[in-house]
Amino acid sequence: MEEKKQKKKRGGLIGFFRDFTYGMATHGMARHALKTRSSMEHLFILITMGDMLGIPILPPYYSLRLLPHVVPQITTWKRRMLREKDFVDSMY
Amino acid sequence: MALADIFDKYPDRRYIMYGGKGGLGKTTFSAATAYYLAKKGKRVLVFSVDPQASLSDIFERDIFGQGNIEIMPNLFACEVDADRRVQDYQEEIRQKIISMYGMKKIPEEIESYIKASSAEPAMEESAIFDAVVDIVVKADFDYYIYDLVPLGHALYYLSMASIYDAWLDKITGLREQMREYDQAIATMQREEETTEDQIYSELVYIKERIGESSKIMTDKKKTAFFFVLTPEEMTIVDTEKAAGLFAKYDVPLAGYLVNRVINRDLLNENIPEYLRNRIQMQVGALEMIDEKFGATVHSRVPEFDSEIKGLDTIKELAEVMFEEKLS
Repeated sequence: MEEKKQKKKRGGLIGFFRDFTYGMATHGMARHALKTRSSMEHLFILITMGDMLGIPILPPYYSLRLLPHVVPQITTWKRRMLREKDFVDSMY
Repeated sequence: MALADIFDKYPDRRYIMYGGKGGLGKTTFSAATAYYLAKKGKRVLVFSVDPQASLSDIFERDIFGQGNIEIMPNLFACEVDADRRVQDYQEEIRQKIISMYGMKKIPEEIESYIKASSAEPAMEESAIFDAVVDIVVKADFDYYIYDLVPLGHALYYLSMASIYDAWLDKITGLREQMREYDQAIATMQREEETTEDQIYSELVYIKERIGESSKIMTDKKKTAFFFVLTPEEMTIVDTEKAAGLFAKYDVPLAGYLVNRVINRDLLNENIPEYLRNRIQMQVGALEMIDEKFGATVHSRVPEFDSEIKGLDTIKELAEVMFEEKLS
């Protein structure tokens, strides 16, 4: 978000058109890529810290080294992994 | 070939390990070898990671968890406190989290995860082998004599290391893929460059450490692994089995040492039935050892009439083991 604000500040007519084309052409793609990226992030945490949800994984000695780096994502990851799904989900 | 010749012939073998069942004399042999090499002017570190380590007992000094302690000139001993190492490591992780995110306190669920990790069965083995890597990479000794924990641990770790390695390859691959996405997103959003992925660097580091630790046990040039056994049928069979397993994991077996051989000449004397039977049993077992291991048996060490304890008796043992008078 902050980056977008910065870009807005650059302003001007050229800036406007740049943002406009970005919005039309690539914004959707970028959004999709970001979404995939975050799914992968969650998959990664699942593989490395799965035992937090009761899924046995490999020895934790070195997994602990990774723990600090994923601390901010843990809550959203848990919510996503433990969320119950129903057919409505597949409609979106 | 005599044991002393083996050490002369392969000066590159700097990691010396004695393996075998518990109570057969691994620690006494480690201490005697360290003594011998130290007397030869080499800088030697003998270390143990066993929580019930007996280096303190054999050197008659409390060295547990105190780092490298000088026992005599050139001879250092170290007993790693695995429990404390795990605790220190967990604390390090906590501190890292706190400093990375400026937290006052570790979140509940993270804390309980860290706490639970120490109860995991492989935690200690991993911590132990990590400690060994720490000791060995410093490379400030000529010889490292590793008083190994009973065989199971070592085998368990080696098998774990190979699985871990494959697993790391997979997740490193996933991480690389994620990085490609990062770069694509950055290009689409016209950002200059992406930040470095710290997790990726950690993974690379972990892979190196695991490689390093299994290399210590499997490096053909630098490692010599000796089996200690006694002339008893059951021990021989078990040792043979263990040797097969170790060979599977590419541990370079340097040979066998027989401990606790009772002097056969006693048979000509008037000795109690009990002792006679034991000697005869040993004669049979020694034949079996020759048959199975032949020229790879490097030393036969007699049963001593007192416990090996303290530098004087260690010296006696070293002289017998290496067939050489030491000053």
